[in-house]
Amino acid sequence: MNFVPLALYAAAFVAYGWHFARRAPAVGRSATAILVAGVLAHTFVIGMETMESGQVPVGDATAYISMFVWLLAVAYLYTEVTTDERAMGVFILPLLIALQLIPALKPADVEVHSPVLRGPLFGIHVSSLLLAYASFALACVIGITYVLLFKEIKARHLGFFYARIPSLQVLDKMNRRAIIFGWIFLTAGILSGVAFAFEALAHPVSAGVPQVQAMSVGDPKIIVALVCWAVYSFELFAARRIGWGGRRAAYLSALGFVIVLLNFVPISYFFTKSHNF
Amino acid sequence: MHLLLLGISHRTAPIELRERVDFQARGLENALRTLAARSAQRAAAGEMAVLSTCNRAELYVACDDVEAARAELIAFVGAFHGVDTPALEPHVYQAADLEAARHLFRVAAGLDSLVVGEPQILGQVKEAHGAARQAATAGPLLNRLFHSSFAVGKRVRSETALGSGAVSVSYAAVALAKKIFGNLDGRSVMVIGAGEMGKLTAQHMKSQGVRHVTIVSRTMGHAARTADAIGGATATPWDDMDAALTASDIVITATGAAAPILTKARIEAAMRPRRNRPLFIIDIAVPRDVEAAAAEIEDVFLYNIDDLQASVRENMARRTSEVTRAEAIVDEELDKFGSWMRARGVIPTVVALRQSFESIRRAELDRLDFKLSGLPPEARDEARARVDEITHLIIEKLLLTPTEQLKALGDQETAAQYADAIARVFGLADSPPERGVQDSSSGGGTTERTAGRVQPFPRARTRDQR
Repeated sequence: MNFVPLALYAAAFVAYGWHFARRAPAVGRSATAILVAGVLAHTFVIGMETMESGQVPVGDATAYISMFVWLLAVAYLYTEVTTDERAMGVFILPLLIALQLIPALKPADVEVHSPVLRGPLFGIHVSSLLLAYASFALACVIGITYVLLFKEIKARHLGFFYARIPSLQVLDKMNRRAIIFGWIFLTAGILSGVAFAFEALAHPVSAGVPQVQAMSVGDPKIIVALVCWAVYSFELFAARRIGWGGRRAAYLSALGFVIVLLNFVPISYFFTKSHNF
Repeated sequence: MHLLLLGISHRTAPIELRERVDFQARGLENALRTLAARSAQRAAAGEMAVLSTCNRAELYVACDDVEAARAELIAFVGAFHGVDTPALEPHVYQAADLEAARHLFRVAAGLDSLVVGEPQILGQVKEAHGAARQAATAGPLLNRLFHSSFAVGKRVRSETALGSGAVSVSYAAVALAKKIFGNLDGRSVMVIGAGEMGKLTAQHMKSQGVRHVTIVSRTMGHAARTADAIGGATATPWDDMDAALTASDIVITATGAAAPILTKARIEAAMRPRRNRPLFIIDIAVPRDVEAAAAEIEDVFLYNIDDLQASVRENMARRTSEVTRAEAIVDEELDKFGSWMRARGVIPTVVALRQSFESIRRAELDRLDFKLSGLPPEARDEARARVDEITHLIIEKLLLTPTEQLKALGDQETAAQYADAIARVFGLADSPPERGVQDSSSGGGTTERTAGRVQPFPRARTRDQR
């Protein structure tokens, strides 16, 4: 079922690409319309999965990725509507498509197997991190476009991107905002995760659950999440204290998101012992 | 009715003549009223509009006799501006009907401008139409013509890149500054050197919302004078340049100095307290005022006159490559306008045909009244109403196909031949149709003769409406 949103995201990517190259307003509107259709189809898929399992499907790594793709698409649409700027679409869609390939090819196991994954702390932990990662994804894409435009202006060769990407100042501000938003939710996500882990460890139900026993700073998923937090904290500190805006902030945003992706796919599937329910 | 264009422009006339034939200076409405008064005496033209910019003066008129109107218009321009007609004549170009429309469409699109795609021209075309409306010299033909030209202008702007990219050095500098800083509101500009180029660029920046402009010159008096000329600018002593550099977002250098004034080290020192706030330096001096190596500093964007000119050239080339697409839009809109013109051309014939049929019907109804006079009043009225309705429907149905066929005719010549044939076959020539009173708000096309209640393209009517 996850193929339908994937196909619509792919179609939207073609339309955004065409719009980016030719700048035809009608094509831009169609691109948005196709993306909205993709998000609606995706909402339906997630809704069906929720009804099937009785709770929002976030316990499984694949279901979590699908949820992330959906949230990122919604977050992007929100930025597009509020800024009336479509140039970013062509950069965000490949990410959506690449990640959506996972749930499309490997159907998520939406049944909740572990009795541990219940309760408000788990909900806060999961949803905070989803919001944080979606913000970081946007910040990364904004950062990439910033660097592309910066290089053109700096090299005094005004060409393709110059005519298509908003001003450096606007991109810098959007990047800063996305990072602050993401950092707040990342912090909330980590703190609620810690609280959740303590609660779970204390609970008799989790006595025989190996994942709960593995919940420590030694687990790769947790270490990498903390590294992520350190990178984004540094980016915010550097922007405030030593004037590291612009290109340096853009590079840090890209680096931070590479770490997020690392945590998201390879570590979730192959390395973590605490987050593979 | 023909559409006639007469004009002079940068393509046909030297500046000396163009500035003498400047309708803008004497008021478009004034010119139109004078022309309307002259034309009323000579019956030369029905509708008229004047398009006047610094590069062109054009008259658009609706007339029956092109040659007579042409002579009258040239005489008017000569008399109105005090220019000898023989001196004017060789520079005047003219076009009629669809070619005149094509010309206005190309003008509105910016295709005929000195700088292709320049944005002001569409506003000037709108102004020409507005003045004609104010002076009550715009009728259905010109209304339709100008509205179509607005559509062309808007489509070319939104569907092509004909107007994109700056095509002058100072515009290019402003466009770049906007790409770096977003909008220029609240930004500070420092101009080093009190020359003309620096002043012009600073003025341009100021008009774009720059908060503060300061002029730095070796001679404080020069700086103060230039600051006054810009308006709202301040003068800064030469020795305070470093502090001003730290405070500025945009620096324009335009001095005649032989050696660089802003070295890499000097700019680096100024950047430190700025905490990497971007600095955009525009060096329009030759020889250059800024050391080329300064471009290596992070957050410094350094452009010299060649860089800006290269950007201007690229934009010009891009605009040129969009001309074909813009011309295609002109062709499309011209097709629509042509169809409207042709449909409009057959209106008198359609009116005459319907009028002829209607008069036959009325005559037969009158004869019927006499024959029905023996019936009781109620039965008589009933019979009369039935016959009235049936005969009306018969005529409507008989005329429906010929009307549609006439409207759909491909070219004006064929339409004229058809109109002529219909006039002969139905004997319409004996009673030439009156030209319809047309609805100017809708741009025409709804001719109506009130006396005989004849409509060229009627809609189905109910019995009650009759």
